[in-house]
Amino acid sequence: MSGSSPARPRVNGPLRVGVVGTGFMGETHVAAWAAEGIRAVIHDVDSGRAATLVERYGARVAATRQELFGAVDVVDVCTPTHLHAEVAIAAARAGCHVICEKPMARTLADAEAMLTAARDAGVRLFVAHVVRFFPEYVAARAAVLNGAIGEPGVLRLTRASYRPRHPAGHWFFDHAKSGGIVLDLMVHDLDFARWIAGDVVAVHCRSAGVAFPGAGVDHAVAILTHRSGAISHVSASWGYAPPTFTTAFEIAGSHGLIEQSSTATAPVMPSLLAGAADGGTTALADTGLAGDPFRLELAEFAGAIRDGTDARISAEDGLEALRIALAADESARTGVVVRIGQEAG
Amino acid sequence: MAVDEQGRAPVRIGILSAEHVHAPSYISLLAAMPGAHLVGVWDDDPQRAISAAEPVSTRVFDDVDDLLERVDGIVIASANSRHRRLVEIAAAAGVHVLCEKPLATTVGDARAIVDTCAGAGVRLMTAFPSRWNPAARALESAVRTGALGTPVFLEGVNTGTMPDVHAPWFVDPALAGGGAVTDHVVHLADLYRWILRSEAVEVYAVANRILQERFARVETGGFVSMRFANGVSATIDCSWSKPRSYPTWGGLSVQAIGTGGAFGIDAFRQRLAVYGTREAGISWPAWGPNADAGMLAEFLSAVREDREPAVTGLDGLRAVQIVDAAYRSIAAGAPVPLG
Repeated sequence: MSGSSPARPRVNGPLRVGVVGTGFMGETHVAAWAAEGIRAVIHDVDSGRAATLVERYGARVAATRQELFGAVDVVDVCTPTHLHAEVAIAAARAGCHVICEKPMARTLADAEAMLTAARDAGVRLFVAHVVRFFPEYVAARAAVLNGAIGEPGVLRLTRASYRPRHPAGHWFFDHAKSGGIVLDLMVHDLDFARWIAGDVVAVHCRSAGVAFPGAGVDHAVAILTHRSGAISHVSASWGYAPPTFTTAFEIAGSHGLIEQSSTATAPVMPSLLAGAADGGTTALADTGLAGDPFRLELAEFAGAIRDGTDARISAEDGLEALRIALAADESARTGVVVRIGQEAG
Repeated sequence: MAVDEQGRAPVRIGILSAEHVHAPSYISLLAAMPGAHLVGVWDDDPQRAISAAEPVSTRVFDDVDDLLERVDGIVIASANSRHRRLVEIAAAAGVHVLCEKPLATTVGDARAIVDTCAGAGVRLMTAFPSRWNPAARALESAVRTGALGTPVFLEGVNTGTMPDVHAPWFVDPALAGGGAVTDHVVHLADLYRWILRSEAVEVYAVANRILQERFARVETGGFVSMRFANGVSATIDCSWSKPRSYPTWGGLSVQAIGTGGAFGIDAFRQRLAVYGTREAGISWPAWGPNADAGMLAEFLSAVREDREPAVTGLDGLRAVQIVDAAYRSIAAGAPVPLG
């Protein structure tokens, strides 16, 4: 069970939530909390960004991180990836439950330190792999569990978009801070592959960003071997033209096949002359009319904290997804197959 | 027999073996092509020859030499492992060869096929019809003209139903040479070589036997990743992942990524969706152009003009080398060098 049982008393009354980091994902979470009727307390080193969220979502600003920790039950960590561990550990030590955006951390050591800190402080820790809350992925998992396709054998998962339009020098483009496309984008499907086909024992990855460092194209494919013998082909791309954001998966099993493609299942197909979309700074997957997965995700974490129950993803799951992503990143850089869960070599 | 539109005598063509599922397509197209005279069919199974010849009322030959002395070129559509013997017979008779893919089940056989034809002075073409698929040609053009910029990654899917429904030999390792990796890697491997004008230098592959109700004789699922000399990486999903209930045999698609964006093709997307009776179920009959016609026309032209065909035996050998490297990688659990 994630983060062990809470020493801190279960939350009675409305959950008080703090969001640290109010960039792209921070705003997405603040909006989802607002939709759940929770006005988040926010903190960002950039006070200008925080002010915008006060206006839009009725959020309340905490001047310091420590002030925020003192005012809330749960800290939702939406900082740049390399800062997740520091904020999460400080929040846990301040007695706050922690929800951390994916990827869990930049390094395994950081992720393990987060788990330890949560355990020591007796607080809950969740990693926000939102794909587990997207209805098409949920439906596919249900179909697999119902035996619709027998034993999963061959998975192909695709996530394709355009290069995020952050300014040069942004942390997102600094591999040491973000981990690049594998840790940021591919990690969604690495977690989903593990959710469907179980633990991964070998990872091979090739990356256009590594092979053509000057080309400015990020595209990577990992080939996973699961302990069960199943294999997964996981593709992540920032090589498409805006406003592309498509996802697709195929899960072939011993007795059947599941196919899903976001382009084939979009229920709304606008082609409006005014305001033709060119995509935002960063593309976000759209589920059409099926409900906001971010809201479902945060509501489930909030419920788990309130009731002391498990969520569909544990902190350990977040750590394993990171482990696979780091293995893929290493494979892309070294060219070798990286083994997981056994002696090196 | 009619002359073609330029008043030239047709190229005389025979069929050596109708064992492969593609033979009926070749036979019906050749029977109707202005530049071709389909002389007849030989098969080591006489009944199979009769069945193959019947729809177009072409002649059945009991003796392979009888057929070979009446033709300029031959189409070999036997089981994979029997290609070499039939190529040797045709080459000895001085007949040009169009050989079904994969050219052979081993690199040694593929090399022998290439050498035999070169030694006999006959032309050798490998049956890679995808090069005449309009979508594949559009992708090749997007790369050649620079529309895609510098290509950096190719992802291809050539998946299908398990072909034992067409002929049991497809899943017999001795006759087919392997399973899904043997059956489906060569088409995309050849397209990648053609599009990139570069050779694969490293191959990684994984495979398993979970799909198709845990069919165990050959691999039914597989991925191949290859790195080309020009730095481009490319992957292939070659799995027999379509269940028996799937509305069509399978498909072939590619997503190409370059510095100029992305370019996707789905070679068999031109199809209807037909919902029939409960028994007939759903089917997706294709209405797009038949790439086999372009491939056969190229073979006829190469024979008539006494020149190298656009796809050679060497192309067939290179694709077999990639398949061989894939199996070596599966055994090693690691990437293997090539070339």
